[in-house]
Amino acid sequence: MKYWRETLAVAQRILTELGRRRRSLIFWAIFPVSVLLLNGYILAERAQLSTGDAFERAAPATLVGAALFFSCLGGSVATVVSEREQHTLKRLFISPLSGTSYFLGIFLAHSCIGIGQSLLVYAIAALLGAEFNGSWGLAIAIILLSIAAYVGVGFILGTQFARRTEDVNALVATFGVPLLILGGAFLPPELFPETLLEIAEFNPIYHMNLALTGVSAIGDGISKISSHFWFLVIFAVLMVAGGWLAYRRMVWRERRL
Amino acid sequence: MLQIQHLNKRYGDRPVLQDLNLSIHAGEIYGLLGPNGAGKTTTINIICNLLQADSGVVKVGGRTVSEVTKKLIGVAPQENLLYRSLTCAENLNFFAQIYGLSRTQRRQQVQDCLEAVNLSDRANSPAETLSGGMQRRLSMAIALVHQPKLVILDEPTTGLDIEARYEIWELIRQLKGQGITVLLTTHLLDEAERLCQRIGILKGGQLMAEGTLEELQQSIPAKEVVVVQTVQEEEAIARARESGFTPRRYGSDLAFWLPESLELKEILDRFAGIPLESVSRYPVKLEHIYLEITQPERNQEFFIPEEIPDPWVV
Repeated sequence: MKYWRETLAVAQRILTELGRRRRSLIFWAIFPVSVLLLNGYILAERAQLSTGDAFERAAPATLVGAALFFSCLGGSVATVVSEREQHTLKRLFISPLSGTSYFLGIFLAHSCIGIGQSLLVYAIAALLGAEFNGSWGLAIAIILLSIAAYVGVGFILGTQFARRTEDVNALVATFGVPLLILGGAFLPPELFPETLLEIAEFNPIYHMNLALTGVSAIGDGISKISSHFWFLVIFAVLMVAGGWLAYRRMVWRERRL
Repeated sequence: MLQIQHLNKRYGDRPVLQDLNLSIHAGEIYGLLGPNGAGKTTTINIICNLLQADSGVVKVGGRTVSEVTKKLIGVAPQENLLYRSLTCAENLNFFAQIYGLSRTQRRQQVQDCLEAVNLSDRANSPAETLSGGMQRRLSMAIALVHQPKLVILDEPTTGLDIEARYEIWELIRQLKGQGITVLLTTHLLDEAERLCQRIGILKGGQLMAEGTLEELQQSIPAKEVVVVQTVQEEEAIARARESGFTPRRYGSDLAFWLPESLELKEILDRFAGIPLESVSRYPVKLEHIYLEITQPERNQEFFIPEEIPDPWVV
C-alpha cells in the first residue's frame, strides 16, 4: 500500500508538471506524428507500398524509435537531472519516500506518456489505412518492456553522467541518435549493409523495432519474434537493475542536506 | 523530544562531531548556533537519518532515528526546494501523499497549512511565481503538512528582507504555541535571541555552551559592553584594565566588558585625560558571547592566561 501510494504520488507529480509545460507537451505530440508521416510517406513512395501498408511498417519503428526513446529515456534523464538541479531530491531524501517507489513512480509516469504516444501514433496510422494485425497483449508487453528499458537507461545516464539540464541533450544525441538510426527508427533495416546489420544485432532498439513490427504489421506470434523478444526482456531486466543500482549509488553520494 | 548522546562523526581523519550531547524538550524552540563547519548540518543530517553516526545515540520522540522517525520530523532546509511549476496546494498535497495522509486528511492539512503560513489566497499559484518570503513560507508549510512533532528550520530567514523575516518569526512563535518542538539553526544571532528558549553553540563538533540567553550572559564577566573610539588605544586599554574592565575587539572596534553597570560619567572618569571620539554602551548580547566562544583568537592581543574561561558550558 505504501509503495503504491508513493508511486502514484510521484507519477502524478511528474504528469502534473508535464501538463503545466503545455508547449513541451505539444512538441512531444508533434514529434512522433511528424516522424510517422515522413517515415510512412517515404516508405510508400520508395518501397512501392500502399499507404496503409507503409504506415503499418512505419508506426512501430516510429513508436519505439522516435516516440518512446525521447519521452521515456530523455524524459527520465530530464526528470532525475531536474530534481538534482533544483535540489528537490534532497527534500525527498528527508521524507519517508522509498527509492523503489521513486523509481516506479518515474516508470509509471513515463508509461502513461508512452501509452499516450502509442495511442496517438497508432490512431494516426489507422486513419491513414494501417491495420493492426497481431496480438494486442504481445504488443503491449513489447511496449512496456521498451519503456522499462528506456527508463532504466535514463536512470543510469541521469544519475551517473548528467549533472545539468544542458548535459541531457548532449547525452541523448551522443548515445541516442546513432542507436536510433541503427535500430531502424528512420530507415528500414532491410536497407542496411551486412556489416551494419551484424552490428545492429547488438542494438536493443533494433530488437524492439523488429519485435513490434513483427507483431503489429505482420501479425507474428511470440515464436516468430522470440529472439527479439527475449533479447528485449534480458535487456530490460539488465537496464532496470542497472538503473536501480545507479540510483542507489547517487543516493549514497547525495543523501545530505 | 530530541536526545543526542555521545554523538561522534568523522569524515576521513577529520572529526566533525565530538561527543555531542544535546537534549531538546517538547514544545521548546532550541537554537543551534555555530560557525560554518561547526557540525550543525551534520547533526541535522544524522537526526534526519540521512547520515550514519560513527557512534552515539540519537532519539526522536523516544525512538532511535530510523526511516520510521522521519514521519516525526519536518524539515525546512536552507534552500526552499520546491517543485516550481506546481502550485502551492499541489506541492503540499504531493508531500502529504508521500507522508501517507489519506485523501480527507490531505485536503484538510493542505488548507490548514496554507492558512497557517498565510498563503491561502495563493493556493493555486505556481511556486515559481511567489516572492522569496512566500516561497520560504511554503517551504515551512511543507515541513508541517504531516503534523510532525519536531520541526527543523535550517536558517529560515537567510536572504529574506526584514518584512519577510518578521512573518517567519511570527510563524515560528505560532509553532511553539501549538506545542511543536523546533530546532532552529541560524547565523542571525538576534533571531536566536528573539525566538529561542535555549541556545547551544557548536564549535569544531563540540557543544561549547548551552543555556538560556540569561545563563549564557552570565557566562562572561560583563554586565555591559562599552565601545570606545580613541587614537590612544594603548593608554585606554591600560586604564581600562586598572578599572577591572576586560578589553575586547569587535571588528576594528575597541570594546570593554564592564563587570558592573556604571553611569556614563563614571565611565568617562575612568578614561580621564584620554581623548575619546565616542563612547557607546550596549547590553551584553548573544553576539558577544558567541564571538567569545567561537573566535577566542580574535582577542589574543588582550589575553592573559587566567582570563580564558574554562569550561564554557553553562
